[in-house]
Amino acid sequence: MAELAFTLSAAPILGGVNQSIGENRIVERDDLALVSIATPIDGEASLTASLETGWGLALPDPTVSTPRGETRAVRTAPDQLLLIFQHGTPNADATVKSKLGGTGYTTDQTDAWVILEVSGPKTLDALERLCPLDVSHFPDGGAGRTVMEHMGAMVIRLGADRFLLLSASSSARSFLHAVETSYRYVTD
Amino acid sequence: MTQVNRIEGGQIDRSNTLKFQWNERWLSGHPGDTLASALLANGVKLVGRSFKYHRPRGIFSAGSEEPNALVQLRKGAAQEPNTRATTVELFDGLYATSQNHRGSLEWDLMAANDLLAPFLSAGFYYKTFMWPKAFWEKLYEPFIRSSAGLGRLSGRPDPDIYDHGYLHCDLLIIGAGPAGLAAALAAGRAGARVILADEDFCMGGRLNSESYDVDGQSGANWAALAVTELHAMENVRCMTRTTVYGSYDHGIYGALERKADHLATSEGKPRQVLWRIYSQRALLTAGATERSIAFGNNDRPGVMLAGAVRTFVNRFGVAPGREVAILTNNEDGLRTAADLKAKGVQIRGVIDTRKGETIVDTTGRKALKSVTLNNGRKISADCLAVSGGWSPNVHLTCHHRGRPTWREDIAAFVPGGDLPPGMTVAGAAAGHLTLAATLADGHESGARISAELGHANAPGDTPSAEDEPFETTAFWHVKESKRRAWVDLQNDVTTKDVKQSHQEGFRSVEHLKRYTTLGMATDQGKTANILGLSIMAEASGKTIPETGTTIFRPPYNPVAIGAFAGRARGKDFRYFRLTPSHKWAEENGADFVETGMWLRAQWFKKPGEKGWRDSVDREAAQTRKSVGICDVTTLGKIDIQGRDAAAFLNRIYSNPFLKLPVGKVRYGLMLREDGIAYDDGTTARLSETHFVMTTTTANAVTVFRNMEFVRQCLWPDLDVHLISTTDGWAQFAVAGPNSRPLLQKVVDDLDLSNDAFPFMACTECTVFGGTPARLFRISFSGELAYEIAVPTRFGDSMIRGLMAAGEEFEVVPYGTEALGVMRIEKGHAAGNELNGQTSAQNLGLGGMVSKKKDAIGSKLSERDEMNRDDDLRLVGFRPKDRAALLTAGAHFLRRGDPEDMAHDQGWMTSVAYSPELGHSVGLGFLKRGSERIGETIRAYSPVRNQDILVEVCSPHHIDPEGERQRG
Repeated sequence: MAELAFTLSAAPILGGVNQSIGENRIVERDDLALVSIATPIDGEASLTASLETGWGLALPDPTVSTPRGETRAVRTAPDQLLLIFQHGTPNADATVKSKLGGTGYTTDQTDAWVILEVSGPKTLDALERLCPLDVSHFPDGGAGRTVMEHMGAMVIRLGADRFLLLSASSSARSFLHAVETSYRYVTD
Repeated sequence: MTQVNRIEGGQIDRSNTLKFQWNERWLSGHPGDTLASALLANGVKLVGRSFKYHRPRGIFSAGSEEPNALVQLRKGAAQEPNTRATTVELFDGLYATSQNHRGSLEWDLMAANDLLAPFLSAGFYYKTFMWPKAFWEKLYEPFIRSSAGLGRLSGRPDPDIYDHGYLHCDLLIIGAGPAGLAAALAAGRAGARVILADEDFCMGGRLNSESYDVDGQSGANWAALAVTELHAMENVRCMTRTTVYGSYDHGIYGALERKADHLATSEGKPRQVLWRIYSQRALLTAGATERSIAFGNNDRPGVMLAGAVRTFVNRFGVAPGREVAILTNNEDGLRTAADLKAKGVQIRGVIDTRKGETIVDTTGRKALKSVTLNNGRKISADCLAVSGGWSPNVHLTCHHRGRPTWREDIAAFVPGGDLPPGMTVAGAAAGHLTLAATLADGHESGARISAELGHANAPGDTPSAEDEPFETTAFWHVKESKRRAWVDLQNDVTTKDVKQSHQEGFRSVEHLKRYTTLGMATDQGKTANILGLSIMAEASGKTIPETGTTIFRPPYNPVAIGAFAGRARGKDFRYFRLTPSHKWAEENGADFVETGMWLRAQWFKKPGEKGWRDSVDREAAQTRKSVGICDVTTLGKIDIQGRDAAAFLNRIYSNPFLKLPVGKVRYGLMLREDGIAYDDGTTARLSETHFVMTTTTANAVTVFRNMEFVRQCLWPDLDVHLISTTDGWAQFAVAGPNSRPLLQKVVDDLDLSNDAFPFMACTECTVFGGTPARLFRISFSGELAYEIAVPTRFGDSMIRGLMAAGEEFEVVPYGTEALGVMRIEKGHAAGNELNGQTSAQNLGLGGMVSKKKDAIGSKLSERDEMNRDDDLRLVGFRPKDRAALLTAGAHFLRRGDPEDMAHDQGWMTSVAYSPELGHSVGLGFLKRGSERIGETIRAYSPVRNQDILVEVCSPHHIDPEGERQRG
């Protein structure tokens, strides 16, 4: 048993940034957990069933995510998906694993990414300066992986002018700067 | 000065007056003017000096093809040279100056060059400046350099901001003239997602310049209504001030949008945006460029293209001259005369080459005074409108190396059959040089492409217009003219230069271009190329299509380097990755070093320490004495899971991994396919189906990418899955004899004794009362050491917790330099040794290439040449004189051998001062090194002027038996 009366405190990657640029907002979503699920060879049927049972989610096709309430599944590779859900403690992996019952290989990705929710009337204009994907034609729930200002990123459309942007946590400050800059350049 | 040449009409807003400065003189113009039209309105004819001969030059065209009227715009740091006055939109307070003269524009001292013209012909610089040899560096080169170029850069950082962006469309229409507008209307009405881009600030193209009707109204009105309709369509994006400058792969086009060039200030917003446009299809409706005719002294201010004269008269309400003469080889001459007459401008004569008339000479130093005809008649004129026919703007059709084809009936090149995939060409760009034809072609193309893309709404009617008379002849230059006749105005290339180039053996058009510099100026010869080709063809007795063209490459028009750079300037040149303990490190005196994208602490300075060595020596010594902590998050971490994960790793690593027990870590070596070592690291087995691999920081991405390739392409039958977790875990090395008691205070309910948690053990655990963690007993320093990882969100808290827990042991944080010192002391290979050229055998790790299994690279590592007994081996070195410092990069020589490559024995790869041993230590590759322990050899470094004796020793300078790390 640790002898110290010291407990570790979790800190949001960007300190929980929550800012406005004009009528637009950039908010760090540190309430969301990310767990990747890899499909075992020949295991898609079992995993599909587990997703349905555990979360009421369908296996997502490429370029779209399947939402159920605040939980969302995004296809990230031919045999891999990312589960996004509200979860505050560092045991997201165990939570998912228990529901899957061995039908998928899980890896906690919560800390590997920073998640920004961006919204507001200039959001599509800002993303034009940042995101090579055709996000203005994404349906709600549309998702894609891309590169923004040289940083690997994921983009998910939540609504007409509301998106989740994900990028590596180590370069989160640079990513935030890129997002802020894009908004500043298109906002009066 | 008032606007003496302003006449009625035009698309300018006369209710507003704009003040601007030209060569420090205040002049005025109106919204809708370009700098060129405003200068002409104010009677300014002389606007610059030519490149080589410093001849007075005036405005020649009315568009982006302008070769003469290059000016410097703005002042101070924002000064921009070589800006075409014909494309600069006038704004209040605009400041412009002329360029390329010494002294004033009117009295340019360099104009003496014109007298030296016989010595400055094509390729003169290959023939002169030969002697005396000593003059080259001291006199000729400095003089040539100071004379070269046109404008001047400010030499200061560009204060403007530039940005990049990405756009998507079904159909990109390049050029918003009659064909482009008709196409956009058809495609937009059909429902296609259209981007319509035009470099002008006003869409309409030649419709704004000519006096023809479309749909029963003036062409300019029709264009304005079309733009209004297009703006109202949600599926159409109209982009003015946007030049599509290049066609790239996969339907991608580069476009430069000048966002704020027409404003006095950009107010913190990007001045220009470089767009990458992803299109399904593209329609090139870039129109055509008028070309000149070469005759004696055809470069005087006042000699202009006839189409430009019509533009200034019709669009800008400016008369370029009071007495205008017209030289033409086609119907445009009469059209020009009619337009000028309608505006009350006096016409001094129409000289039509089809009737055998032509011009042989002109007079007027700073402005045209008269023209002399081939029949000897002299006509006074202050403006000469020249039309040598039109060349379709085929440039973008050639960006994928397509070649245009010649059409004799219009005496011009038109797009060839080999267009960039997805591109169609319509209108004048396709060779339809009359209005009704170009409108019909644009409309039909827009409707057809939309239908092909599945947009079925009605495209509307074809705009109606009448085809104007069109007849042109191939008349390129006036042979009987004795005076110099310019072909390329911007680079001062004359007909004589082109002929001389041919005489001197430069027969290929590509050689002609480079020898004479024809078409190599900022205008890329838009008005000159065909003229040059025709003269070349004549000289060689070939036809123009036989002569061929040079290849067009992006950009179509000059693009500022700043626009290509976009945001990537200064500290935003690239992104940074920060370790989870970065903030804490900043607070504790860390000095950071860039390792790839990461910023890593290289040492932590304490008060009183004078230099980096003080800090590094202290950190290394204290770690070996008690305990030190280093953030090693940057090492690549890859989560490997699946039923076949062990089998997969067994094929990736050269050494065995199949039977690695759960709860154990193993050091692994990866080879490339060719058998060369490329990365090393440790892999821990957390469960039967779950491994965690670490890679070097530098190769984290490469290793992941290679493994993903192997997984997907070589062995897709294996059940194995990879995902990077590098950023997910904050990982710290805790090294030194007191690392165990320190960590024992930190981990929850885990016995860290050597028996319970021996060297190379690993486990998932919790720390500080419940935070999930992973603990590995591995050592890079050679000490008793661990690496402990917690989720990144706890990283900052963790370093603070570890330092607090280590206080009683006088724990130190250590940076990458102390890390390097300790690994060299221990003899561990790193990037300097894994340099992409060394084999496992070179590294002394030959035993790690298992002969009992196949793994990537193992077969080719068995090649004889890679297994020579006399090959290089990694060994250690120490200076014979212990006070001497070793240098990396020094080459080894036997004592007495000469210093040449034939006697080279190897080289020193890594050196460090060892605080533990009190002297410098090194690692290096030495021929038969492992057999030469104890030998004394030379370490010779001529670049550092060092030649010292060193002793060959074990690479394990400390603890060769590994007792500390196993203890």
